[in-house]
Amino acid sequence: MSATDQTPATQSALKDQIREFIQVQLAEPKGVTSFTDDDPLMENGVIDSLGIFRLVSFLEEELRVRVSDDEINAETLKSVNTIEELVIRKRK
Amino acid sequence: MAYILQQLLQKSAARYPEKLAVWARGRSITYRELEQRSNQLAHLLRERGVRKGDRVGIYFPKCVESVVAMLGVVKAGGVYVPLDPQAPAERIGYIIGNCGIRVLITREDKRRGLDNAVIETLACTVLIDDAPKSSNGGGVIPWSMLGEYPEAQAPAVVLTETDLAYILYTSGSTGRPKGVMLTHQNALTFVEWCADVFKITSEDRLSNHAPLHFDLSVFDVYNAIDAGASLYMITEDLALFPAKLASFIETQGITVWYSVPSALTLLLLHANLNAEKLSRLRIILFAGEVFPMKYLQQLAHLLPQVDLFNLYGPTETNVCTYYKVERERLASMDKLPIGIACENTEVFAVNDLNEIVTQAGGTGELYVRGPSVTYGYWADAEKTKKMVLPNTFQPNFEEKMYRTGDLVELAEDGNYYFLGRRDSMIKSRGYRIELGEIESALLNHASVKEAVAIAIPDDIVGSRIRAVVAFHDGITVTAPELQQYCGTRIPKYMIPESIEFREQLPKTSTGKVDRVQLTQESLRSAATLVAP
Repeated sequence: MSATDQTPATQSALKDQIREFIQVQLAEPKGVTSFTDDDPLMENGVIDSLGIFRLVSFLEEELRVRVSDDEINAETLKSVNTIEELVIRKRK
Repeated sequence: MAYILQQLLQKSAARYPEKLAVWARGRSITYRELEQRSNQLAHLLRERGVRKGDRVGIYFPKCVESVVAMLGVVKAGGVYVPLDPQAPAERIGYIIGNCGIRVLITREDKRRGLDNAVIETLACTVLIDDAPKSSNGGGVIPWSMLGEYPEAQAPAVVLTETDLAYILYTSGSTGRPKGVMLTHQNALTFVEWCADVFKITSEDRLSNHAPLHFDLSVFDVYNAIDAGASLYMITEDLALFPAKLASFIETQGITVWYSVPSALTLLLLHANLNAEKLSRLRIILFAGEVFPMKYLQQLAHLLPQVDLFNLYGPTETNVCTYYKVERERLASMDKLPIGIACENTEVFAVNDLNEIVTQAGGTGELYVRGPSVTYGYWADAEKTKKMVLPNTFQPNFEEKMYRTGDLVELAEDGNYYFLGRRDSMIKSRGYRIELGEIESALLNHASVKEAVAIAIPDDIVGSRIRAVVAFHDGITVTAPELQQYCGTRIPKYMIPESIEFREQLPKTSTGKVDRVQLTQESLRSAATLVAP
């Protein structure tokens, strides 16, 4: 399943925002055009060492959550879904 | 004195049998186990037909089995070829065909990712993850089979130091990667020099940050084994996360670190490094690209107890020069030297008049001679002839020297300084990238008429890649489509981050694409963008 063939009803606005950032800013420049919300982004090479910091800047500047150095790890930033969970948790 | 690599292990396994040899992904093996498992693998490979000089591919994300595989192959008399587990299957297939790999040590998911046509060329596949019984036919051997082979001794194989030990593939300007052939002597010349200069002991703990297809890992693996030290392999779950990586260095008590500068820059910028936390760290080596001075100064300031060394050398010579960072000079330096020749290696700069540069301030291309220099490129006599030349500077006997393609300056202080490249090879994250290989991938797309790849200098990663493309009449493709196409042919670190489309590319008066103009335009537009 690609990122684009989910029905709008199942998508949250937040998840859309995260997915779009990853798709346009990180995945496409690496030659990856489709990934699911559960796909491991680092294993697939979508996020590299610099990609992580662009992602964190995006979370902090666009989504307004403060991410600590310890939270930047393989579990929280694994996939679109885990990144969404992180943002929801931080906003509470 | 060892003359083949496996003797290093034999020595340490006898001296430190119960000591931790390799740690990766939470698993470890002792020296005794490493010696026994690699003996068993060597017997298995011999039984499956591996003979002296045969190439054996190693194709899986790094783990303790990686080191067992490297040693097992050389003990069988073979030549190992580390294959980038993240590279596209098409590229791996090319390499397998190029150097005639018939035996592959891999993992089931990686094996399945290869083209069927490639799998069919393999005589035997050893799986490190014990594939299900159903796929055990057709030359597929599970790792558990190792238990059935003798562990006490390696097979008897006649090898000399001039036999090949491994082949490392790097980017090639004509569109395909090229295999640098390295002998046992090439590797040991470097390993013995390192052992001497960095005084590695059995108490040391070495990190392995670089991938195994990257020559930086030769130091990590073989200098750890030589000294009976412990090797800690840094896998992607750690490498990408500076804060976790810093605490890993601390908790595992890493004493010797070797990586590309960009990995250190990320640690510096995102991990709150301090000397107290990394109290056991005594040496940091870096190589592969130029370390931006401001970050090196910060790193030196944060870690006052650590000796810092800049190592320089293309894969073809491993390391050929080095410079120990002089802390007292650092604040007033604006550029870091690549230093002076390593022992048992000679380097010299040759100017446009084909004379060796002897005066301070003189510049030229850096040449290297000595036992660390490669025989050349696998199955590419033409390329070899261009880079590995007869040494015409001494008339007494025939010998080879390697021309690096790097322009250097010989300075007052006796050090060499890197000035730039003669050709269009660039560095990004320490990876060697031929812009020609990227252009060739783009041009291979049916709709692309002209393509130029351009390197935009970047403080952290060295360079970022951009492309300018013109299509055949009436056809257009989007940038993501083209990037995806590139991803099937070249590794992700080579794919252009941005692609600009034009109706046609500017030409020089001789009708060639005007690379200089395009580069200048790209640099100008990059400069006007606000850095992230």
